Amino acid sequence: MRTTLIFIGAALLLGVIAVLGLSIGRGDLSGQNGAVFLELRTWRIAAAALAGAALGMGGVLMQGLFRNPLASPDLLGTTAFALLGGQIVLVLVVLAGAALPVWLPAELLLPIGCLIGAAAALAALLWLAERASGLTTVLVVGFLLAALGSSAGTLLTSLSRDQWELMRALQGLSLGGVDGTGPAQLALGAPLVFIAGLCAWGWGRPLDVLLSGEHEAAALGVDVPQVRRWALIWTATLTAAAVALGGAAVFVGLIVPHVMRGLVGVTHRRLLPASALGGAVFLVACDNLARALPTTGELPLGVVTGLIGAPLFIVVLLRSHRELA
Amino acid sequence: MSDETPPNADGVPPDVPPSEPAAESPASARTTEHLPAATEVGAPRDTAPALVITGLTIWRGSRVVLDDVSVSVAMGQVTALIGPNGAGKSTLINAALGLVPCDHGRIHLLGQDLLRLDRRARARLIGYVPQRSRLSAPLPVREVVALGRYALSGGLSGIFGANRRAVDAALAAVDATALAERRFNELSAGEAQRVLVARALAGGAQTLLLDEPTAALDIGHALSLLALLRRLAANGCTVLVALHQLDEVRRVADHAVLLNQGRVAITGTPDAVMTSAHLTAAFGVEPDPAGALAFRLSEPRTQPVESP
Repeated sequence: MRTTLIFIGAALLLGVIAVLGLSIGRGDLSGQNGAVFLELRTWRIAAAALAGAALGMGGVLMQGLFRNPLASPDLLGTTAFALLGGQIVLVLVVLAGAALPVWLPAELLLPIGCLIGAAAALAALLWLAERASGLTTVLVVGFLLAALGSSAGTLLTSLSRDQWELMRALQGLSLGGVDGTGPAQLALGAPLVFIAGLCAWGWGRPLDVLLSGEHEAAALGVDVPQVRRWALIWTATLTAAAVALGGAAVFVGLIVPHVMRGLVGVTHRRLLPASALGGAVFLVACDNLARALPTTGELPLGVVTGLIGAPLFIVVLLRSHRELA
Repeated sequence: MSDETPPNADGVPPDVPPSEPAAESPASARTTEHLPAATEVGAPRDTAPALVITGLTIWRGSRVVLDDVSVSVAMGQVTALIGPNGAGKSTLINAALGLVPCDHGRIHLLGQDLLRLDRRARARLIGYVPQRSRLSAPLPVREVVALGRYALSGGLSGIFGANRRAVDAALAAVDATALAERRFNELSAGEAQRVLVARALAGGAQTLLLDEPTAALDIGHALSLLALLRRLAANGCTVLVALHQLDEVRRVADHAVLLNQGRVAITGTPDAVMTSAHLTAAFGVEPDPAGALAFRLSEPRTQPVESP
């Protein structure tokens, strides 16, 4: 009953924040271009909601996969490599120029690049996690992967300095933001988020059993390598979709599952949809904030989530320290 | 103490009545056909074997961890697996659970070849209790026990209907009904072990493998858990338990298997196995009659008081 109320509450909150978001921004809705502004805002709110949902669910999957409340796609380098994959694709698209066939638009290639990057980073991390003992090793390796990914991304950006448009696109991706998202990106991102989210939900039960550790889960009848493999694929897909839609919005995948776990419990069948809703609420609210703050030019979304997320992360860290102790 | 029978909706009901301790059994009913490798000492057993391990050999790299091990675990009895560290007790249990690959040998449970069964089918037949669970998530006890039904109902299980009844029955069987709504990570070590036994029973398995379940428990909780194992065996469960404390073996087991350096050194009744000569050979110790301390649960309180 309580869980149902929380779901209804979160859905209502999402609705309110989304409607609020339609009225926030520099353009005047009652003016000549009101309809255009409304449409653009609708797309970006939808993109923020989808990216937030994807990051929320990705965080739940990673925290379950590593049995560690401190795991999240951005902390462990998955986001950084998804970003790097996307950035490499952007560079390749510009290099290919006119040679790129018409049926292969950059919008389609970007999520593919993100997916390859995210999957590569996650696979490397899992491979290491199986061989190295201790959670600290996994966290440190994840942190190194994140640093490596973002350094390589910065290298790409600085190499492309003479191509202003490309540099701006690369920077925009790494700072995060849903401005300029159109129906094409949404048409690609939405199925990825929905399919990966539904499939992850379907694997919720074995993921619950896996909370007891691999040894006990295997004794209880779980095919552990298979569950890990699929959870990795869905996590990579969700992270890639989120990055392709909204760039690198940090801390969402860490904070949201944590807050929602306190509200609906650790069972994946409840935590995944709850974190999807929570992530959507958080990211749409952050995007509203990015547009509402009186700054010259719009604040990048990743900056807003970082500014809110980092202090929250300290709280989470202290709380999980108590949980782990 | 509860007289609840363990949930056996999907398990095979035992067709052999619970037996008295083996020391009182007639010598004519000896069952040694499954134990070719080791000597059987003491009074024989009169119940049919449920779990039969024959000629099990497991290599880890160039080292042999289990060497031609044959063990027979009787139905409705508690069989204790003892031996020094590194003797192969955990490997033997893990092999029966299908968690480590076997190089040679066969493992049969009630006539079924365990090594040919898939993971889920095996999990339906055998319940497992580790020394200490790695589950640290704040999951309610009821849901922890429901995890034991995974192999039965797979991904679609919830806490409904038959599932809920099985979870309730498993909790009742280990006297943990009062813990149902508590969070697993907030339980004491003794309570947590009882819940893990309930999880092992919830899937309907009639065979329990326990790997040093009392190692992390104080003496009160340890004795309470051993009493629970005795009760489950009396109700028809087949129990194979690795134990480190030799006094616990004498208290709980109908039968003991002494492993040493990957081989079965001796099997038989606990008194016959734990003789001075055998213990010296395996552990380098011998019983000290003057220094022996023995405890039992105080009456009428059969459970140690749990801290809130």
